[in-house]
Amino acid sequence: MPMKYDLVIIGAGPAGMGAAIIAASHGASVALVDENPVPGGKLRGQVYKEPKANWWIGQEIARNMEKEIKQLGVTCFLEREVWAIYPKWKIMLNNGEQLESDYVVLATGAIEKPIPIPGWTTPGVMAIGAAQVMANIHRVKPGNRVAIIGIDALSLTIAYDLKMAGVDVVGIYLPPFNEFSLDKSNPLKMIAYLSSLSHLAPNPILKLLGKLGKQASVQKLGVNYYPPFGMRVWGIPLHLRKAVVQILGDELVEAIKVTTIDRSGELETKQEKRIPVDCVCISGGLYPLVELANVAGCAFVYVEDLGGHIPLYSDEMETTQSGIFVAGNSTGVEGAKVAMAQGELVGAIISNRLGLLKHGTELIKQAKEKVNVARKNAVIKFHPTIESGREKVLHLWNEKAVK
Amino acid sequence: MIQNMLICRCEEVLLADIVASIENGAGTLKAIKMETRAGMGICQGRTCRMLLEQVMDFHTDINVQEANNLSYNNPVRPISLANLSRSGKDSEP
Repeated sequence: MPMKYDLVIIGAGPAGMGAAIIAASHGASVALVDENPVPGGKLRGQVYKEPKANWWIGQEIARNMEKEIKQLGVTCFLEREVWAIYPKWKIMLNNGEQLESDYVVLATGAIEKPIPIPGWTTPGVMAIGAAQVMANIHRVKPGNRVAIIGIDALSLTIAYDLKMAGVDVVGIYLPPFNEFSLDKSNPLKMIAYLSSLSHLAPNPILKLLGKLGKQASVQKLGVNYYPPFGMRVWGIPLHLRKAVVQILGDELVEAIKVTTIDRSGELETKQEKRIPVDCVCISGGLYPLVELANVAGCAFVYVEDLGGHIPLYSDEMETTQSGIFVAGNSTGVEGAKVAMAQGELVGAIISNRLGLLKHGTELIKQAKEKVNVARKNAVIKFHPTIESGREKVLHLWNEKAVK
Repeated sequence: MIQNMLICRCEEVLLADIVASIENGAGTLKAIKMETRAGMGICQGRTCRMLLEQVMDFHTDINVQEANNLSYNNPVRPISLANLSRSGKDSEP
């Protein structure tokens, strides 16, 4: 028997919960679906000190939002996966349940890109996000001696998390050049990327790198004179001139093989060194998880600045399929605060469509402004050009509307 | 050595298999999928879809990032036959 709701939200991370709270507080009947046993999504793994404020403790924020959701009478379908969306709109859950609604919010977040290197399927190798979930949510060390491959905002943040959890992080290395690593294996390009990260970043590694210099000439100097033993930040050696060329071990990770690389990313194979570790974390970046928008028939665009293929959406976050909305990282990879604000915006827009708001236009305007403010004040930018990516989507939407 | 990396873990497809498929004339992601079974396992390409795009992009002139030519199909997550029958959906496309 299908269960009917005013709104069905898929994904109970910051975006999905934000949308649920706003819509339910205006009187909508809301169903919230998530594959995990507890709402919160990746918000639950976040812990950092904010530049001018207190600690941002994701677990606590998620718990408070969960309380609010329960008080507002949102129906939660936890430990359920959505396996299909049929028009207009039936949401199929993997335990056989079926939800029905005119309005659906896809808040499915992002997933990690792997960077395959030889040995990457050995047990003990994991995506960097998995290490964060283990350490910060489950309070389990992913390993005692951990090597991290891939230098980006996420891996540096989690290196710091692991260090705080008492893990010996033996180093952060580049991947070797291959089909999958491309620019991520190039020291010069990595310095340019690192210096584009916000200087407001919430951990000392990112802060230091943000100060490294934004000029190309300075960046080049940085690569040429980068110390061969790495730069120690918070006790973690950060290697811009070393790549992990192989992960060793039969049944379990036993060691990594590290090679020095020249300034353009070429390997100097004579300089190979074996370093014992029991866990390797690979960070290849995030991209929006969009499979449900795809099967629902939404039109797609490719926007590099937002993380890749995304469903085309309007300034009201609606896709080309009427009634299907998007919020959070499935529209482009950004931080939890932006995702939450996007969720609240969608919650307001749908409440208005349902005829629940008296001053809808004004509320929606305020919610849009909140998204912009959150984006402007973001401490970590996963894509330095996120704003231009967002503008590009609106431009593409308007172009489509004219046609 | 690099060519022996596993790319599709579910169907145990090596990088070398995918590159060979391209060299033998597979010109689309779908063709690679059909020939090697990459992306056809239980996870339905959730790990290797992006990797297949990258291999294609690297070894051919085709810019797959603009093309997005691998579709998604229901069910997008694994579901048991018992639960599928319970869902009461038997005539949908």
